[in-house]
Amino acid sequence: MDLNTLQNLLLTGILRGGLYALMAVGLALVFGVMNICHFAHGEYYVIGAYAAYFAHVTFGLNPIVAIVIAAILSFIAGAVTEKIFFFPLRRFNKGEWIMNAFLLTAGLSVALQNTFKLVWGVRYRGITQYWDATIEIFPGMAIAADRLVALGIAIAAILALWFFLQKTSTGRAIRAVSQDERGAMLVGIKLDRIYTLTFALGSMFAGLGGASLLSLTPAYPYAGVRPLISSWFVVTIVGLGSVSGAIVGGFLVGVFESLSYYFLGQGWQDVASLGMLIVLLLFKPSGLFGTKVKGVLEK
Amino acid sequence: MQTTLTPEATSKTRILTNLESIGLSLPVLGCIALLALAPLFIQDEYILRLLVVSLLFGALAIAFDFTGGFINAVNFGYAGFVGLGAYISTLLVTKTGFNPWMGLLAALLVTGLVGFFTGLLTLPLRGIYVSLMSWFVGLTLMALANAMVKLTNGARGLIVPPLYESVSITAHLYIMLAITVALYVIMRLIIRSRVGLAFRAIGQNFDAARASGVNPTRYKLMNFTLSCAVAGMLGAYYGHFVGIITPDLMDTGRTMEVMALAYIGGSGSLLGGVFAAFLFIPLFDSLKKLMEYRLIIYGLSLVAIMIFYPAGLAGLYQYVTEKYKTWKGRIPK
Repeated sequence: MDLNTLQNLLLTGILRGGLYALMAVGLALVFGVMNICHFAHGEYYVIGAYAAYFAHVTFGLNPIVAIVIAAILSFIAGAVTEKIFFFPLRRFNKGEWIMNAFLLTAGLSVALQNTFKLVWGVRYRGITQYWDATIEIFPGMAIAADRLVALGIAIAAILALWFFLQKTSTGRAIRAVSQDERGAMLVGIKLDRIYTLTFALGSMFAGLGGASLLSLTPAYPYAGVRPLISSWFVVTIVGLGSVSGAIVGGFLVGVFESLSYYFLGQGWQDVASLGMLIVLLLFKPSGLFGTKVKGVLEK
Repeated sequence: MQTTLTPEATSKTRILTNLESIGLSLPVLGCIALLALAPLFIQDEYILRLLVVSLLFGALAIAFDFTGGFINAVNFGYAGFVGLGAYISTLLVTKTGFNPWMGLLAALLVTGLVGFFTGLLTLPLRGIYVSLMSWFVGLTLMALANAMVKLTNGARGLIVPPLYESVSITAHLYIMLAITVALYVIMRLIIRSRVGLAFRAIGQNFDAARASGVNPTRYKLMNFTLSCAVAGMLGAYYGHFVGIITPDLMDTGRTMEVMALAYIGGSGSLLGGVFAAFLFIPLFDSLKKLMEYRLIIYGLSLVAIMIFYPAGLAGLYQYVTEKYKTWKGRIPK
C-alpha cells in the first residue's frame, strides 16, 4: 500500500464519517435529553432522502432548496412522531421507561419501513449527482462535488447545533433537561416542548443526511438500515448520550470502516467492527467519552 | 370439601393439582389436547403446517420472553442466534454426516456458548447495552453467513436435510408440540424456583435485588445463555422443518416478529406469546392481502402495546377471569 492509497482511504473515511457524525449526533441528542434509544432514526434518513428526491426530481427544484425542504419535512415528521407516540408513552408508562421507549421505536421502525414500501414500492429512487463537478484535492485525486458538499452540510449542521445549544436560551434549556429533568422543570422549563423540539432536531439531522447523500445511496424503504447500524455503532463506542463524543466518533468510525473494508472486504468489515466494540467494552465499558451523567453501569 | 370426595376423586384432584403446579392448568391442558387431536380431524397439510409454524413461533416467543420479560434485557439479535443454530445443525449434518437430532443438540450448545460470551461482555452493563450488543452480534452473524460463501453458499442459502427420512407433517406437529410443552414447563419451573425469584427481583428492582445479596450478573448470565441456547435449537429445528435456510433468517425483522408476539402476548407471561402466535400467524397466512401489511401491523401493535397496555393478552386474560370470578361470586348459591 502506497501513500496515495492511504490518502484515498482516509479521505473516503472522513467523507463517510461526516454522515455518521451527523446521524450519531441526532441519536446522542435524543438519548441524552429524552433517554430514548432511538431505533427508528434510520427512517427519518429515508424520509429526508425521499423528500429531497421528490423536491429535486419531480418538482425540479435547486439542490440546496431540495435539501432544505427535506430537512424541514423530517423536522416536522419528528415533531409529529413525538406528539403521537412519545407524549402518550410518557403519560401512561409505568414500567421501565428506557426499555419501553426502545421497544416502541423498534416497532415504529418496522411499521415505517413497511409503510414506505407500501406507498412507494421497493424501487430505488436515486440521482446520479446534484452538481456535475469534481474537485481535485490532491494531485491525481478528485472527488465528486456532491460528497464534499454533503460533508460541508454535516459540519455546518453540527456547528449550528453547537451554537444553538451553547448560546441560545432554548439550547440551554435543552441542556438543562438533559442534566436534570426535575430541576429544569422547577425553573419553569416546559418539558414537553423541549422533548418535542429535541426529537424533531434529531430527526432533522437524520433527514439532512439522507437528503445530502441522495446521489450516493438512493431512496428506498430500507435505505436507513445501514446508516442506522453505523450511527448506533458510533454512539455505543463513544458512550451513550455524549454529543461531542459522537462527532469525533463519527469520523473515527468512518475511517475505521473504510480501512477495514479495504483490507478485509465486505462482510468481514462487520466482524472487525464487532471486534473493536468487544475490545472497547472489555476495557472501557462506558465508552470512549462516556459521561457520568447517564451512568452506563447498573448502579 | 376434601373429606366428601371419594378416594378416586381425590387422586384425580391430586393429579390435577400436581399438573397445575408445573403450569399445566386445565385450560392449557385443553389446548394441548386440541392440538394433539388435530391431525385426526384435519387432513389438510396446509393447515397442519400452519399449526407447526405457530407452535414454533410460540416456542421462540417463550424463550424470548424468558429473558425480555424477567431480567429486563431484550435480546435484539435473537434472529441471529436462531439463524446460527440453523446453520450449525445444517453444516454438521451435511458436511460431517451428523444425525439431525445430534445437530439440534450441537446447535443448542454452540448458540448457548455464543450467548454466554455475549452476555459475559454486556450483562454487567445497563439493560440497553445488552440489546445493542446482541443486535451487533446478530448483525455480524448475518454478515458472516453472507460472506462465508464457500461454507454457507452465501445469500443463495443451503438445502437442509429433513429430521429423518419420511418425516410427516403430523410427526412434526407432535415433535413441535412436545418441544413447546417441555420448554414451557421447564422455563416455568425455573421462573418459579429460587433462581427465578432472583430473575424477577433483578428485573423489577435491581438495587433491591443486589442489596439482598443476589449477584445480578451471574443470574442474568444464566438466563441469557439458556434463552440463546433454546433459540439456536429451535432455529436448527426450523431449518430441518422448512428444508432451506438463507442468511435472511437472521434479519432484524425476524427478531421483530418474535418480539412483537412475545409482547402482544404479555411480557413475563411465557405462554402469552404462544397464544399471540396462534392468533396472528394463521390470520396473516390465510388472508394473503394482509401479508403485505403484516410487518406494519406487528410494528404498530408493538407500539400500541408499549403505550397503552403493557400487560398484553395475558393481562387481558387475567382481567377477564378475575371479572368472571367476582361475577360468579355474586350469584347466590
